Amino acid sequence: MTSTSSSDRIEIDVEINGRRRAVVVNARDTLADHLRNDQKLTGTKLGCEQGVCGACTILMDGAAVRSCLTLAAQGDGRSIRTVEDLSEGSSLSPLQEAFKKHHALQCGFCTAGFLMSATELLESNPSPTRDEVVEALSGNFCRCTGYQTIVAAVLDASEQIGNANG
Amino acid sequence: MDNPHFNSPPITRNMIGKRVPRSEDAKLLTGRGRYLNDIDVEGQLHACFVRSPAAHGRILKIDTSVASALPGVHLIWTSADIESQCAGMEAQFSADGCLPMTMPLLAKDVVRYVGEPVVLVVADSRAVAEDACDLIGLDLEDLEAVLDPRASIQGGPVANGERPDNVGIRGHASFGDVDEAFNNAAHVVSALYHPGRVAAAPMETRGCLADYDWAQDRLKLWVSAQMPHYVKLCLNLYLGFDESRCEVISPDTGGGFGQKAHVFPEEMLMPLASKHLRSPIKWVEDRRENLLAGSHAHEQFVTIEYAANADGRITGVRTHALVDGGAYHMPPQTMAVESWCTAAVTPTGVYDIPATEYVYEAAVTNKCPMGAYRGVGYMAGTLARECLMDDLGRKLNMSPFDIRRLNVVPEFPWTNPQGIVFDEGSWLETINVLEEMVDYPAFLKRQAEARKAGKYLGLGISVFVESSGESTGMLKAHGMHEIYHDTATVKMDSSGSVTVTSGLNSQGQGHETTLAQVAADVLGVSFESIVVDAGTSTKGAYGSGTVGSRAGVIASGCVNRAAYAIREKLVAVAANMLESSEDDIVLENGMASVAGAPESQVSIADVAMAIYWDESLWPVGFEPEMEFTKAWDTSRPMFSNGGHAMIVELDPATGFVNVEQVFSVEDCGVMINPTIVEGQIRGGVVQGIGLGLFEQLVYDKDGNLSTTSFLDYQTPTMDVSPPFEIRHLETPSKISASGVKGMGESGLIAAPAAVLNAVNDALAPFGSVLYELPATPEKMMRAMQGLVDLEGPEPWSKLWERAGVEPRESGSMETA
Repeated sequence: MTSTSSSDRIEIDVEINGRRRAVVVNARDTLADHLRNDQKLTGTKLGCEQGVCGACTILMDGAAVRSCLTLAAQGDGRSIRTVEDLSEGSSLSPLQEAFKKHHALQCGFCTAGFLMSATELLESNPSPTRDEVVEALSGNFCRCTGYQTIVAAVLDASEQIGNANG
Repeated sequence: MDNPHFNSPPITRNMIGKRVPRSEDAKLLTGRGRYLNDIDVEGQLHACFVRSPAAHGRILKIDTSVASALPGVHLIWTSADIESQCAGMEAQFSADGCLPMTMPLLAKDVVRYVGEPVVLVVADSRAVAEDACDLIGLDLEDLEAVLDPRASIQGGPVANGERPDNVGIRGHASFGDVDEAFNNAAHVVSALYHPGRVAAAPMETRGCLADYDWAQDRLKLWVSAQMPHYVKLCLNLYLGFDESRCEVISPDTGGGFGQKAHVFPEEMLMPLASKHLRSPIKWVEDRRENLLAGSHAHEQFVTIEYAANADGRITGVRTHALVDGGAYHMPPQTMAVESWCTAAVTPTGVYDIPATEYVYEAAVTNKCPMGAYRGVGYMAGTLARECLMDDLGRKLNMSPFDIRRLNVVPEFPWTNPQGIVFDEGSWLETINVLEEMVDYPAFLKRQAEARKAGKYLGLGISVFVESSGESTGMLKAHGMHEIYHDTATVKMDSSGSVTVTSGLNSQGQGHETTLAQVAADVLGVSFESIVVDAGTSTKGAYGSGTVGSRAGVIASGCVNRAAYAIREKLVAVAANMLESSEDDIVLENGMASVAGAPESQVSIADVAMAIYWDESLWPVGFEPEMEFTKAWDTSRPMFSNGGHAMIVELDPATGFVNVEQVFSVEDCGVMINPTIVEGQIRGGVVQGIGLGLFEQLVYDKDGNLSTTSFLDYQTPTMDVSPPFEIRHLETPSKISASGVKGMGESGLIAAPAAVLNAVNDALAPFGSVLYELPATPEKMMRAMQGLVDLEGPEPWSKLWERAGVEPRESGSMETA
C-alpha cells in the first residue's frame, strides 16, 4: 500500500463532454476541483462540499454523482458530462427551455445540479410521474424557487422530448 | 420637502405586466454564469481563516511558527498585524436606545463566538491555506459563555465588554391610550412567541476577490454582495482607500436574502492583504463557515398582548420584542433593527387597533451576530400578531377569517397609532379571497372526516402589510434622519438601441428583465433593443442596496426618470421632424407618430440618428444629450399587502407535519412581470416553511454550534415543498413608476405565522397550542401528549422598569 502526500499528482485518462484526454490531477483534488480549476468548466457549482446540496452534480457514465465527493482520480477511464454539454449548438435543450419557460431558476447557482439530476432521470425514465420527479430531485437544494416550477419544468420537458421522438 | 426626484412620469403600459421570459436565463442554464468563484485573476493567492473554537475566551497565545514554514504560505496575520490599519467596524442603528459596537476584523485579545475570525492565512491554494490553518496553535483561557438572551438582557456575566450591560438596544414608546384599552378590556389574550435561530443560507456562500494594483494605486474588489456601493464606501471609511480608486464588482450572485447585505471582516481584510502582498487574493468560504459566521437571523422572544372588547374588537396591543443578538452589531445592519422593527412597525398590521405600546431590546450573547434575512423584524412581528389573532378567535369561537374581518382596517387612507399613513390597500379583500380560495366550509367538512379516520388536518392563515420598498419616505415616517440614494443611467445609441445601468444588483431577482420591460415602455422601443446592466460595477449608477423589497420599486423609479429624460429628447426632435406639436407625439413599437395621424411617423432609431448626426432636424435651442443619470425616491411610505393560507397534515405516528397546499394572495400594485412576482412568493413561502418546520441553528450548552452542515441545518427540499395557488390583487401605488410596489420579502414575512396557525389547528383535538418554531416532529410528539414547553411572558412591570418607564397597573389580568 502506498501513501499519498498533499503534493502528489496522478495521471488519468478521462472523457469530458465528448473529448477524451490524458490529464494530470492533484491527488487531493475532488472531481469538482478538477473540472472547475483545471478544465475551467465552472458551470458545475460547489454549494456545500459535503455531498448534501447537489449543486455539484455531474453525470459519470450516465449516472448522477456528486463531484464534490468524488476524487478527480476516480475519473480515470470514465465518461463525464457537465452542464456545459447540455445545450445543442447555440440553442437551449428542451430541458433547459422548459426551465426558462417555467421560471424554474432564479439565482441559477443550483441550476446545473438540477439539470444534471433531471437529465439522468429523463434518460432512464422518459415519462416520469410527478412523484418520480420529486423522488429523483429531492437531493438537490434550491433556496430561491420553492421547487414547484422545477417539477413543472421537468414534467414539461419529458413531454416535449417525448413528442419530438414521436 | 417635495423634491423633484420624488416624481414619477406617467408610463403607457405595454411590456409592463407581461410574463416576459428572463433574459438572464440562457447563460445561467448553460453554465455560463460568472459567479464570484468562477472568476480568477492571474497570480491570485487564496485565503483561509482560523476561526474561534470557543464561544468566549481570552487569547493567551497564537503560535504561527510551524504554519509560517509551510511551503506555499505567504502571509499570516493576527489582530496585532492589522490593528493599526483598521480598528474594526463600528455600527449603530439610529432608533432610540441603540448603542454602538465595533466588530474587529480579527479577534483581539478575546474571542466572542464560535466561528469568529482570529487568524488570516494566505497561500498558493485554498488547500495549502487550510493545511496552514490546521498548524496554527491557539491557546485560549475559557471565559463564561453568555448564551441565554433572557438572562443576559438583565445583566450578569458580560458577553462583550464593549456593552457591559449586554444591551445592544433598549427602548419604549406608547401611542394612543393603551392603559385605558387594557383596563377596560372584556378579553385580554397574551403569549410569548419564539421563532428559532435560522440562516439565510444562500446556495452560493460568501466570498470576495481583491486585486490591488500598486502601480496605479487602484483596487478592484469582486464581492458577492447586495450592497456593493456600501462596500466601496467602507473601503474608504474603514481602510482609507479613496473611493475614486476603488471599483467594486458584483458578478452573478447565487442568492443573498439579506445575508449579503452586510459588510464582513473577511471582505475588508482581502484588500488590505492584497495591498500588502501586491497579489490578487481570493476568499470563498465553505458551508460550515457560512453557517458558523455568515450571520444568523430572526430569533426573537416576542411577547404580544391584545385588549379586546366583548365582541372581539381589539382596542390595544402591547409588544415586547427581544432579539438574541449575538456578539456584535453586524455592520451596517446591527442586531437592533430586528427587535425594533418587530415592536415599532408590525404590531397593528392590517388591523384597526387604536393604541399600541412596545418595548424593544437586543441582548448581546456569545453567538454569531444577528443579521438580515428576508423580512427583518417583520417575520417575528407578523408571527406574533397573526398567531395571537388565532388565539383570540379560538377564545371567542370565531373563525380565523371572521376574527380578522372584524378587526381589519375598513377604509383608506388609514393612519396607525404611530402616525404612519397607509395610502391604499386591499386588506379586507385579501381575507375574503383567501377564504374563498380554501373553500372554508368544504375544508371544515374534510377536516372533521379526517379526524374520525385518525388524520389531523390543519388550516392556518396569515395576512400582512409590508413596507415596500424601503425608502427615505419610510425612514422619515419613523423619525429617522438617514436617506437612501439610488440612481439609474439610461443611454440611447445613435441606432436607437438602449443601455440601462441600475445601481441595484440582482441576486436572482431578474432585474435585467424587469428593468428592460420598464425602459421599453417609457421609450416606446422593443424589449429586445434594451440591455440592462444591473449594478454589476460601482462604475455604473449608484445604489443603496438590494434590500427591503426595494429593487423593483426604486430601480424602476430611477429607470423611469432617466428614460423619460431621453424620451423628452426623442419627442422634441420627432415633433420637429413630423412638423407636429410635442404634445401630439406618441412613442410606441419603435415608432414616433402623431396622435390621430398614424401615417405621419418616423422610426425612433431615425430620430436617435438625427439627434446624434443631423443638426438640421433639431428644434431651435436643442441640447443633444442622450445619456441621463437620474435619482428616484419616495416622499412617503408605500405598502404592499397580502396573505397566505396553508393546509397541513400532522402524522400522529411520527409527528411530521406535511404542507399539503399553499394559497397565496399578493397585492403589490401593478406587477412588472407576474411570473417573477410569483417566483418571489413561492421562494419566500418555502423559506417560511423551512423556518416553520425544519430549520434551526442549535447551540449546545457551551456555545458550540451543532448545526454546521446542510445535513443538520435542514432547508426544505422538493419532497416537503407544497404546490401553490396564487391570486393577484392590484391596488396601484399613486407615487411609484406605473404604480408598482415591492414584494420580495412577503413570503417569508407571513408564511411562518400561517404554518404555526395551521399546526395549531391540526393540534386542536389534542388540546395543545404551540408558540415556538420550528414545529419539529419532536415538538409535535410532545404536543400530542399535551406537553408544550410554555415560557411565561415577563410581567410588564419588569419590562417597564428595565425600559425606564413609570410603572402602573398593567391591566393584563385575564378578565373574561
